[in-house]
Amino acid sequence: MSTSLEELQRAFQEFLLGGDATAIRARVTGTERVPADTRLGIYAHAYSARLLEVLADNFPAVHTLLGDEAFAALARAYLDAHPSEFRSIRWFGNRLPAFVGTTGPWKEHPVVAELARFEWLLRDAFDATDAVVIGEAELAALAPEAWPGLRLEFHPSLRRLDLHWSVTAFWQAVENDEDPVAPERAEHPVGWLIWRRDLTQYFRSLEVSEAWALDRAREGANFSDICEGLCEWVDAANVAGYAAGALKRWLADGLLTGLETGD
Amino acid sequence: MPSRPYLGFGLGLRPDHYQAILDSDPPVDWFELLSENYLVPGGKPLHFLDRICERFPVVMHGVSLSVGSTDPLDRDYLADLRTLADRARPHWISDHLCWTGIDQRNLHDLLPLPYTDEAVLHVAGRIREVQARLERPFLIENVSSYVSYQHSLMSEWDFLSAVAEEADCGILLDINNIYVSSVNHEYDPGEYLAGVPVERVWQFHLAGHSDHGDYIIDTHDHPIVDPVWNLYADAVRRFGAVSTMIERDDAIPPLEELLAELDQARRIAAEADPTGDAGKSDMAAP
Repeated sequence: MSTSLEELQRAFQEFLLGGDATAIRARVTGTERVPADTRLGIYAHAYSARLLEVLADNFPAVHTLLGDEAFAALARAYLDAHPSEFRSIRWFGNRLPAFVGTTGPWKEHPVVAELARFEWLLRDAFDATDAVVIGEAELAALAPEAWPGLRLEFHPSLRRLDLHWSVTAFWQAVENDEDPVAPERAEHPVGWLIWRRDLTQYFRSLEVSEAWALDRAREGANFSDICEGLCEWVDAANVAGYAAGALKRWLADGLLTGLETGD
Repeated sequence: MPSRPYLGFGLGLRPDHYQAILDSDPPVDWFELLSENYLVPGGKPLHFLDRICERFPVVMHGVSLSVGSTDPLDRDYLADLRTLADRARPHWISDHLCWTGIDQRNLHDLLPLPYTDEAVLHVAGRIREVQARLERPFLIENVSSYVSYQHSLMSEWDFLSAVAEEADCGILLDINNIYVSSVNHEYDPGEYLAGVPVERVWQFHLAGHSDHGDYIIDTHDHPIVDPVWNLYADAVRRFGAVSTMIERDDAIPPLEELLAELDQARRIAAEADPTGDAGKSDMAAP
């Protein structure tokens, strides 16, 4: 049989993606000891096993939450829905948080999507772009009249998310090899912050007002605009001190990489 | 190709060992880094990469080139590899004689090519472009395989050699993969070694595998077995002083265990080629 390289590759790929084996079966040979179907089966098994393993590696807490069997079912469904188009396997799980949030049966349990999103953002923070953070000295050097127009630059690893479920505590228990307590749902969502400092990822929760201020600051609002908005939670007389306190905490956390005082 | 440099005995660089390498300054002559691990924006991988590259010679080894695919070459990937090479300054860059997907899919596996003239010309033309874009020596590695295609016209070693000659590139000869494929496809691994041109082989890979009885799977999660050590000795007798390293990708043991395995490679190479003259008479070839 004459087969072009392209036809051969398309037939092999179709088989590995779970499609028809007829075309590739006609193009490979087996031996008495190891028949062609066994040989093709090695590749089919390796394909799903490798990608299942990388998902389990990237989402250890989701794996623990669901258990082996249900996680394997999720991984297979994800693999069928989103075969990799990524050059590196590092990014293969990229769409898993959205997938579990929109696909049954997982979408009936929003805790799964929240946990998946949290784990994926932690991974993002792990190898996000490096940047040098500023210290107290830069802030101390600011002239008082520069404060109202002050804008902040944030570390590229910073990620923000709002969580209804106590998935961070669940994740931490899995990470520490402890027995995790099933996540509970809070009445109101809690704002969370994920970032990397030096080589370690951190996360912490945010007060509603701090989350609001941080989100605006990241969008480019200046200090004066932020103070104005914070009046929803804080007395006007105390708001500048409150906002400056939040800013100093971001600085101490290693979230700030620059202060911009131009208009 | 220029004449081959000799780096000695190395290890695949794995994150589990980063700190131990920097703390203990182990007797490893060089490291092979997995290019994809460092094609990330920043953080720990690049932090350790910079520190290890300061202290050890390195080579780069990739899995995403898909040089045998009929999809267009991924030029963004090549540009990223080049940027990484400017940072890591590897002695050479390698990838596998395989394809990993078609129609923009990545199956994340090293899939075998048919051994045909069409495939030789296709792959060799692409390797020429890769070399032109990377401007570093490029080596192509033989993979483990489990199927053979009905329309293959030549042996795997003839295919590998033809590609390397046609592309004018080097060969990374994976001794374990030769052994694995020789069992799976029932051929004599000695014939394989004898069929590969001496002057093109710049690097050896050694690794372990999983024996399933009727066939062997290349898993890189076990120590190297005796038949692979024996084949390595044969390879040293034929090819001489070729930069040798151990690849372990799963069930990664402490660094000391791999150092002991690397010492075994040193002993076997010294016994196989006590005068250091092996391979030299063939090196004068064209």
